[in-house]
Parts: sequence; structure tokens; C-alpha cells
Amino acid sequence: MAKNSARKKKSRDKAEEYSRKKGFREKFTELLELPKELVLNIPRITMAGNGDMMLENYKGLIEYDRARIRISTGPGTVKITGMGLIIREITSEDIIISGNIHTLEFLYAANDTEHTG
Amino acid sequence: MKLLLLLRLWNYLRGYVIIIVDGFFTEKFINICAHRNILLWDVKVQSDRTLTMRMDIKGFRLIRPIARKAKCRVRLLKKTGMPFVLNRYRRRKAFFAGALLFIALIYVLSSFIWNVEITGNKKLETAQLEEMLARNGIKTGILKFGVDTDNVVSKIMLDAEDISWISITIHGTKAKVQVRERIPVPEIIPMDEPCDIVATKDGMIKNVVAKEGIEAVGQGDTVRKGQVLIAGKIPLKDDEKRFKLVHAMGKITARTWYEEESPVILTETERLKTGKQINAHSLILFSWKIDLPHRKNNFGNFSINEDRKRLSIGEDLVFPVEWVTVSYREEKLTEAVVNEEDAKNAAAEAAYKKALEKVPENAKVVNTNIYYVKDEQRGQLARVTLECLEDIGVSRKIGGN
Repeated sequence: MAKNSARKKKSRDKAEEYSRKKGFREKFTELLELPKELVLNIPRITMAGNGDMMLENYKGLIEYDRARIRISTGPGTVKITGMGLIIREITSEDIIISGNIHTLEFLYAANDTEHTG
Repeated sequence: MKLLLLLRLWNYLRGYVIIIVDGFFTEKFINICAHRNILLWDVKVQSDRTLTMRMDIKGFRLIRPIARKAKCRVRLLKKTGMPFVLNRYRRRKAFFAGALLFIALIYVLSSFIWNVEITGNKKLETAQLEEMLARNGIKTGILKFGVDTDNVVSKIMLDAEDISWISITIHGTKAKVQVRERIPVPEIIPMDEPCDIVATKDGMIKNVVAKEGIEAVGQGDTVRKGQVLIAGKIPLKDDEKRFKLVHAMGKITARTWYEEESPVILTETERLKTGKQINAHSLILFSWKIDLPHRKNNFGNFSINEDRKRLSIGEDLVFPVEWVTVSYREEKLTEAVVNEEDAKNAAAEAAYKKALEKVPENAKVVNTNIYYVKDEQRGQLARVTLECLEDIGVSRKIGGN
């Protein structure tokens, strides 16, 4: 229990730090019109309907099966659920997913501190 | 879609493998592959903990340590692509030699000129032009690299009087020659030189207007070719023996006639194909012709049709291989009687067309006469006479021809 609360606290600290940093950096990039996803280290997602999706600037694959894919990115986890999902291509920069995508969730530490996994 | 096809072709050329990965940490396996710049595509979940994916050959050599690290078992399912196909046929030396020979043959054959295409000549004979080009080194069967087209062009331009422009370009195995014929320049007599105006052809004078010189003929006179119409030699008033020479000028309009005839055909032979046909094939390699055996032609009446097919890649790469098919089709002739009125009209029409071809461009047709005559040898004839108005005057130096 104690361990759990410590972890939560750590997570909250991280989140606070992140949001503080983000405020400054975001203003800075907007001022200079730099590509946001690179400076802020956030994913860039391109979708064509619900069939194809390209996610750039990711960190790694956490979970992959036909109904659910979770991908870790700079600010947190991106969760995709659907049917018959396949990874069409994966390189160190981008990941292309196709299939029948139902939902796309952003499980970011900053707006969901309850989330642990 | 097009890009996708191209990508698949590229992958096929480079070769790829389909592998099965199973284990608890397949995601880790994928992550490590991605980080080590091994391209993975079509990653599919087959069942719980089992994935299939595709990767290139270079990547496949690097995955053993990755599999160990991710505690996964990797099995090779299928090898696809050109490198594997080539590897399978590695020992077939004759096959590769044949492929190489084929490429070499194409290259060698395409470095010769196999076809000379001449366009733009109207009066000049194609054979005559071909002969002229051959003399300057452009003919079928010569190496195209040795040909200096600019040199040939300038040589021909100097030699041939009746060509005003020539262009030679070599496309593939074809030499394309375009020519323009020279239109003969009418001899223009300078204004300060005395001349007459004479008739270019026979005719009846309708109108003479002299701007300079004396009218030698009047309205209604019939003139022959070469006859002086406006004289540039003017006798002086006071002395009959002395003349003043001028450059005659003026306009002469004359009536001219053009006549043509055509036989009236009262019976018409109809040619009906019986459906029987003999095909004689022959192959032409370079310049020798190989006739293939065929049935003997026993047909009484037949028509001949020749079809030539030349081996070529695209339009410009023509090879010296030709397949000629001569087909003989049997025909049955039946005579049919044509309505006399129709036959007459058809003959008149034909004669009219022939006559109209003879009328020069600057002449105006004012009257058309059609009449039918009986000829002892040729039977009934339709004769068409076109009456025209045209300028028949041309300058000629006094005393000249």
C-alpha cells in the first residue's frame, strides 16, 4: 500500500514537472513555429478514416494483439482498440497500423494520475 | 495504390522472409528490431503469443541475438523474392549464358540500322533517294555509330539539286530521313531587260491588257504555245526599221480546254470469295528469304494479299527479321449487267475527275461539257471537256526561247 502511494506521488511529481516544462516549451515553439512534435516530444498521428493510422515519434510498443495496441510515447501511453488490427510497418521513427479502429485513447500521466499501467 | 505496387515490386527484388515469432515478449522483440533499424512489415497476430511478420534478408541475419534477448522463438516460414530465385538457379550455367547472350544479341542487333524511312518526297522516287543515301553510307545493315549524319546531310545538299532540305535522324535501328523538294524557281527577267510575253499553252484569247509593249494578238484569236502575245519590240513612228525595246508587261486571259474520256462499262464482273485460301509463309532474315513449304495454288481466279510483319520493340527498334504471309484467296467471277444510265453516269464522273486533275491551280472552270461517243475499239466512251479561263502569259527574253 505504501509502495503504491509512493509510486503515485512520484508519478504526480513527474506530471507536474512535465506540465510546467510544457508551458514554457510550447510557447517557445509556437513563437518560432517549430515542428511541435519534435521539440515537445509528442506523437504525431495521421489517420485515414478508421482504417489506417500512422503514428510518428513513438518510444516503443507495449502491447499488441488483434483487438488492442498500446504504444508508449513521450507524454504517455496511446491506446488503440478495434478489430483485426495489424502493424503494417514498423521502423524506429514510425508505426503504421491498419484494421478496424474503434477507439483511440491518450492515457497521459498529466490528466490521468489514477492510471497505473 | 500505384506506389504500393511499386513498393511490393521493390520488396520482391530485394527479397524478404516471412517469420513466425512466438514467446511472451513479442512486443519486446518488435521494439528491439525497430530500434536496430530492421524494417518489419505486415506484423500479424496469428494466435495467442504467436506473430508472423516480414523482414528483409539483411535484417534476418541480425535477429538471432534479438530473439535470445526477448526470449522468443523464431522460425522461418517462407523465403520470397528475386535473390532466392537466383540462388536456386545458381548452378544453371547455360541458363545464365543464354540470358546474357540474349541481352548481348539485342545490344548488337540494335546497333545497326535496319530500316531507312523516307518521308516528304512527292516527285522524287524513294528508290532514287535510297540509292543516294546508300552512296553516302546510310543503308540497312550498317553500324549506326559510324554514321556522321551531319556530314551526309551536307554532302547530299551539295549533290542533289532537287532537294531543298534534308534531315537525317537515327532512332533506335531506324534512320528517319525527311526531305523537302525544291520548287523550280521561275526565271525572272530583270525590269531593265527587254522581253516579250508569250503563251504557255494553246488557247483562245479572251482579254489582253498591255501595260508595256504592243499587243500582238486580239480578242478571239487562237494562239499556240510559244506565240508572242505582247511584244517588247516597238517600231518607232518615224522610222519603220528602227525599234524601241521594252520590258513587256500585261495580263492575258485566255480560254483553254481540257478533255478526258472514260469507257462506259455495261457489264460488271463481281468477284466473290469462295472461302478457299492458301497461305504461303516466308521468313526474311537480314536479306535472305526462307520460303516455307505450302500447298500448290490450283485456283482459277484468285486475289493475292501480302502481309508483312517486322520484329520490332516499340516503334524505333526494328530488327532484321520479317515474317511475310502471302495469302491466295479463290474467287468466283460472275458477270452482271449494269443499267445503262448508271454506267454512263459513272463513266462521266470518272472522266470529269480525270479532267479536273489536269486543270492548273490558277485556272477557273467556266463550262463543263459531257457527251458520249462510239469508239470502234473501246466501245462507248464518255468524254468530258472543261472550258477554263486562265492567265497564259509568261515573260521571255527577246530572241530567246
